Amino acid sequence: MKNGFNRIALFTLLSQAVLACATPMPPQELLDARTAYDVATKSSAPQYAPAQLDTAKQSLARAEQSFQDNGDEPVTKDLAYVADRRAKLAAAEGSREQAERARAQMDKDFKSTEIDALETTKSKLEHEQRARAEAEKGLADAQKKLSLAMASLAEIAKVKEESRGVVITLSGSVLFATGKSALLPIAQEKLSEVAKALNDQGFKSLLVEGHTDSQGSADKNMVLSQERAESVRTYLISQGIPSDKIKAQGIGSSRPVADNSTAEGRANNRRVEIVVEPLGK
Amino acid sequence: MREFCLVGVVALVTACGGAAVPQESLTAAKASIAGAEVGGAASEPKAALHLKLAKEQVTKAENLISDGDNEEAARVIDRAQADADLALALAKEVSAEKAAIETKEQLEKLRKKATQ
Repeated sequence: MKNGFNRIALFTLLSQAVLACATPMPPQELLDARTAYDVATKSSAPQYAPAQLDTAKQSLARAEQSFQDNGDEPVTKDLAYVADRRAKLAAAEGSREQAERARAQMDKDFKSTEIDALETTKSKLEHEQRARAEAEKGLADAQKKLSLAMASLAEIAKVKEESRGVVITLSGSVLFATGKSALLPIAQEKLSEVAKALNDQGFKSLLVEGHTDSQGSADKNMVLSQERAESVRTYLISQGIPSDKIKAQGIGSSRPVADNSTAEGRANNRRVEIVVEPLGK
Repeated sequence: MREFCLVGVVALVTACGGAAVPQESLTAAKASIAGAEVGGAASEPKAALHLKLAKEQVTKAENLISDGDNEEAARVIDRAQADADLALALAKEVSAEKAAIETKEQLEKLRKKATQ
């Protein structure tokens, strides 16, 4: 029985050895080459490097043939080694070509996007330029209007720029009879022009100040100056000045602009000042 | 004994005269190695490996030629050539991919800017 077992074992071993001789194991180089070729066929090589892939195929076929003919002799290993490199080269060339094509397409996209961006910038600039030109024209128009308004005001009243705004000074003797707060007809005419000029040039707010000379009691002068300021305010409102933008204030004799001891000085002190707060301040 | 000597002599003559020095393919392999180096193979790890293998095999082939083993030298040169070619292909692949990534980034940057 023991003998019989040994015989069977020996036979099995022998037959395996015979089989192994008939189909020897492929060398590692050939296994690598097969894998590399398989990888290459699944890469972008078939599409982008078909010639290189074909070279790799032929190279692998030569290695396989050598393996059939010579087994795992050095010549087979060398051919397989070369086939492995050819397959890897095909894969590399495939992805290079793919990357280059992708880049070429992106280059094109880049250029067209750049052109689009330039067009957008150009039209934006043109738009801005137009808007600026319009704004400049508007400003020029407003300035022209303003200077015209100021010129016409200067004809009827004294106009000067102060830190509190543009001050239009109307002589009291032109506006009122002595001790009265009712506007003289000539005053109405003048104030109509003032109202027109103010409406033309535009403003943020108006303050009408009444001033007197120092003759008479301070209280009376205060009341009179307040009444006179009010009557100018009322008239200007009647000429289209918005009531919420105009205030009246009596100052009395407290802010003289000239010497009260002379008739001329006193005449200058009797006055109404319209303080204009310009737009945009 | 005389027959044996004759066989030996014939074998020797065949070995020496059978394969010529593979000078042409050696020169070609060296040129490919130089080309791969110019193509930047030395600075890309994967490519550098094959460049190194190619160089080593050229040295080996030269030694084999000196020893008179031209046949094996020719096969080693084939290996060297394959490695040199692969080294260049890998270097070119890497630089093409880098360039593509760079272009992509530039494009994305431009698009982002354009939509702002």
